[in-house]
Amino acid sequence: MNLKVDQKIDEIKTDFAQQLEMARDQGKKVVGCLCSYFPSEIALAAGAITVGLCGTTEGPIEAAEKVLPVDQCPMVKATYGRAINNTCPIFPLTDCIVGETTCDGRKKMYELLGREKPMHIMDLPQKPDEPEAQVHWLAEVKKLKAFLENQLGVVITDTALKEAIRQGNRIRELLKQIHECRKHQPPPIMGLDLVSLSTKMGYNVSRLTYIDQLELVLAELRQRIQNNYYACEPGRPRILWTGLGNSLGCDKVLRMVEECGGVVVCQEGCGGVTRLNDPIDTQKDPLEAIAERYLRVTCSCMTPNNTRLNDIDLLIDEYNIDGVIDLTWQFCHGFNIESYRVKEIVNKKHGLPFLHIVTDYSQSDIGQIRVRVEGFIEQIMAGKDNVYNRSAKSLQNI
Amino acid sequence: MFAGIDIGSITAKCVILNESLITSCAVIPTDSNPKLAGITVFEKALDTIGYSRKNIRRIVGTGYGRISLDFFDQTMTELSCQAKGVRYLDPAIEGIIDIGGQDSKAIKLNRDGTILDFTMNDRCAAGTGRFLDVMARALKIDPETFGKYYQASKKPCFINSTCVVFAESEVISLLASGETRVDIAAGLNESIARRVGLLANRIGLDRNIAFVGGVAKNIGLRIALEKFLGTKFVSISQDPQITAALGASLIAREGYRM
Repeated sequence: MNLKVDQKIDEIKTDFAQQLEMARDQGKKVVGCLCSYFPSEIALAAGAITVGLCGTTEGPIEAAEKVLPVDQCPMVKATYGRAINNTCPIFPLTDCIVGETTCDGRKKMYELLGREKPMHIMDLPQKPDEPEAQVHWLAEVKKLKAFLENQLGVVITDTALKEAIRQGNRIRELLKQIHECRKHQPPPIMGLDLVSLSTKMGYNVSRLTYIDQLELVLAELRQRIQNNYYACEPGRPRILWTGLGNSLGCDKVLRMVEECGGVVVCQEGCGGVTRLNDPIDTQKDPLEAIAERYLRVTCSCMTPNNTRLNDIDLLIDEYNIDGVIDLTWQFCHGFNIESYRVKEIVNKKHGLPFLHIVTDYSQSDIGQIRVRVEGFIEQIMAGKDNVYNRSAKSLQNI
Repeated sequence: MFAGIDIGSITAKCVILNESLITSCAVIPTDSNPKLAGITVFEKALDTIGYSRKNIRRIVGTGYGRISLDFFDQTMTELSCQAKGVRYLDPAIEGIIDIGGQDSKAIKLNRDGTILDFTMNDRCAAGTGRFLDVMARALKIDPETFGKYYQASKKPCFINSTCVVFAESEVISLLASGETRVDIAAGLNESIARRVGLLANRIGLDRNIAFVGGVAKNIGLRIALEKFLGTKFVSISQDPQITAALGASLIAREGYRM
């Protein structure tokens, strides 16, 4: 099976829009979503297709800047720009959109986005460990259910919710196993290839087809390992990617890391391994179980967000990491400040090199970023050489 | 013989090394042609000692122009080259502040001379050589005068802008409000020292620091940075502008031995 994706994100979206139109002709409803906090199982239980609407390219930003301030996160601007400049083939095909109150930029942008389509905003509590947060979020999940039932003209049953949970858990389990194949040294797939592949597969009108595709990918990766077929030579610095910039379209730095001789073997964050090991409890009331699970997502909009830092701590060991890169979009205050705590864990606890990059979707800074990325890879390699020389010397002494 | 060529945004530098000594070095402006600058500076360094390219066994390229030339045996970033060059000059150095034409870097070294941590300025040019050039133009003074003015000023202006363009308009407003060029130039020096000093603070540089890069020749900035950091820079025995090229030539020599 060929796991290479040669299409650009816009081509993937155009293809997907055709499938969406066909599905709509057959009476399917489409719900646009914007975040990992979106409890997609509720929309699936309503028989709808969910589509991600986040902008990952520079193109639509100019249109957005006619309305939004320039000093704003590129993701917020690109998402809004796509919606208003008529270049997104998917946006017009949605019946309604659901957003969450994650960060200020998104929250305020949604007030304007809501003028384009019927929109529901879920109020996301930001101290998720408090018992009251759970109560509040459950109420928000119930309101979402009522909104979707009303918008889509359906009744969402417990049976449908349980089936959606079963499929959602299966998807999380498969994705987790796919990511875990990369623990192998060297990994059977490059980071950029997996990012492209997962982005493409994520645009799917049928959950069952999606599950089939994931199973094929997993089988292929396991086969590669069995046949000793790897994506790169051994000894390449193994990078843990955290923060943002880890989906097709906004992958300029990730691409550069692999061009400069690294290999991204694990991504923590949206689109990465985050919370894949955290299924929805199938024994509980479905809505309660869904609410509990989604409040455990670890975005920097949460405080104190210790789970993210614990995850990073564990992943460094599990994936045998040589260095950590943390990417923040300009004006994303949450991830930007939290980077200090990530660095503490990487440097102090693990004694590994850490690189924080702040950038946007443009290409204007690639020269400067390349110096950092190449320097970072050189830093890791010099450290590895020293370890190698030290162990070679100690062998001689024996 | 081994060569290190550092093609920066404002100047290109070349160091030629034999088994034990620096035998030649050259510095020329990059102008707008990094490729030509790389070739020219290399030839200039060779001419000085009457050698030709075939006498050079290995060449390492660094700086922004490292990707412009195809005769390099290897390229390395300025980060690794600075570490190598500075440590060669003084093994006691623990940190490096490098201010070049378009960026500034702070580098912390391990005991073995490898890089422990580094940080660089944001994409904007504040805190770089380019910043000083633009401000010199706004003040209608030579960039070299900054150092002199810093020492002469009794009351440096406070310049807060973190962006070159805004700082330029801040300078023009200060001139309009009757501040002297001496105090404004001194204020600009302090503003760069603050920005770059914070980079150094961020990675914990506190002593045994070498100040390198073309801007390190600005004596005023050197003093302002020392004041901000609360420590004297380690003085090095070579022109601070050529340390990355020196590091590159050392890497060329090491690579040949391996």
